[in-house]
Amino acid sequence: MTSIQQQVHTWLEEGRVDIFLAYRMVEGHPLPHAFTRERIDETDTLVTGPARYSLEKFATHIASRYPDAKIGMVARDCNQRALNVLQVWNQLKPGQVDTVPVNCCPSLLKPHADCSYLEPKPAGHVKLERGQDPNQSLAQADTLPRAERFDRWMYEFSKCIKCYGCRNICPVCFCKDCSLEHPDLIGTGHLPPDIPIFHLVRAVHMAGRCIDCGLCEDACPAEIPLRLLYRKVNAIVKDLFGYETGSGDTLPPFSILGDKPTMSPQPLLAVSQE
Amino acid sequence: MTLKRMTFLQHLLDFMGLAGRLHLEWISSAEAQRFVATVTGFTETIRRLGPSPLRSAALRRYDNISAAPVPCSGPASLQPPAMPDSGIQIANG
Amino acid sequence: MDLKFVPSICSYCGTGCGVLFEVLDGELVGTLPMKTHPVNHGKLCIKGWNLHEHVNSPLRLKHPLVKTFGRFTKVDWDKAIGVATDRLKAVIAAHGPDSVGILVSAKMTNEENYLAQKFARAVIGTNNVDHCARL
Repeated sequence: MTSIQQQVHTWLEEGRVDIFLAYRMVEGHPLPHAFTRERIDETDTLVTGPARYSLEKFATHIASRYPDAKIGMVARDCNQRALNVLQVWNQLKPGQVDTVPVNCCPSLLKPHADCSYLEPKPAGHVKLERGQDPNQSLAQADTLPRAERFDRWMYEFSKCIKCYGCRNICPVCFCKDCSLEHPDLIGTGHLPPDIPIFHLVRAVHMAGRCIDCGLCEDACPAEIPLRLLYRKVNAIVKDLFGYETGSGDTLPPFSILGDKPTMSPQPLLAVSQE
Repeated sequence: MTLKRMTFLQHLLDFMGLAGRLHLEWISSAEAQRFVATVTGFTETIRRLGPSPLRSAALRRYDNISAAPVPCSGPASLQPPAMPDSGIQIANG
Repeated sequence: MDLKFVPSICSYCGTGCGVLFEVLDGELVGTLPMKTHPVNHGKLCIKGWNLHEHVNSPLRLKHPLVKTFGRFTKVDWDKAIGVATDRLKAVIAAHGPDSVGILVSAKMTNEENYLAQKFARAVIGTNNVDHCARL
């Protein structure tokens, strides 16, 4: 029995958590599994590894039906950030979710990293020629001329098949009524959807929420570099308001008025004639 | 709040390559002169920027589907036969 | 509190994407793409993402309905099958077996679909069988 299996076993036995969300192997696939006290022997099969599902989303589903349930889960850094955001937005009670930290993104502190995003797929030549390379940095994406930037983003967006996968998989998307399904805001019955409105509406809603887990890009059948877009969204939020999404328990800048206005209307952004 | 959102959106649109087309200004109903100056100024800015690239981007999207990416350069026997002239002129406008 | 994750295959088309059903207290509450499935690699189309919707849909037919005088009325199975048999017999007698077509569904099991095509070919005598998942 590994130490993490032992820990989960103890937590369930002691009643520290009622349900524990982690992974186990099913027919060769690492799949999420809910470990409970009734079936405590199953903890022997708990595994960790590069599998990534939004466990925190399952936690919100449990919490909406059982508000007093004590939930445990294995958490990478992105899971932890998502839990912080869900708590800020009142989807989980403070302290309701107990986490067992597991390996995540590589860093000096964490040499043994487990994440499907460790080695991003290199972009093919068509994407490099016409689209936005998902592996480029924000600074690189900003250096292209405006017209080219626009063309490249529109090329990416025009591939959208409107599967709503980015929204469905997103751990911090929890609204009952989604703007993306409102027929007055997003036209229905044609593909691609209204671009770039569809993607920009979602990008705006990600401001102060997106925790950069990359699940949306992972789930996108059209391989739109959504993570790059939302990274920019949160870089803007950080530059303008100094708010670090997912870091703590403060409300994001778009949901609080503040004591007094701290900004003044911007003049039109200077546009060079390209 | 509006100010926060609009400033954010200006930056996001700039990242997309659509800068300068969004402007926010508070004008009281008593400030007719200011309203005129703002609208005139913004109209001028928009005119200088030219038509929105969104419309042409929407049209280009469908062109790309039919356009052959690589011209056929095989032997003459593999070249597609020339289309007979239908005599119909399609105005390009 | 009983949360289960059930791996399955999407039943909408012949591609065979791996899906994972989220079952909370015996109720299907969500569908997810299976990340490690070799067919779809964690991606789904809009139909696959909404697989759970039709299971819980209030519009689902739960009883046989027979249309009489322009209105659907609830009847028992014997009656429904009797009406279908009579009408099919009448149509086949008047216009031949190829005037009948059988539409089957991906929402049934393989065995039921097999039976339906057998019914069309062996009993009615037509090859007019089609399926929504014929991609």
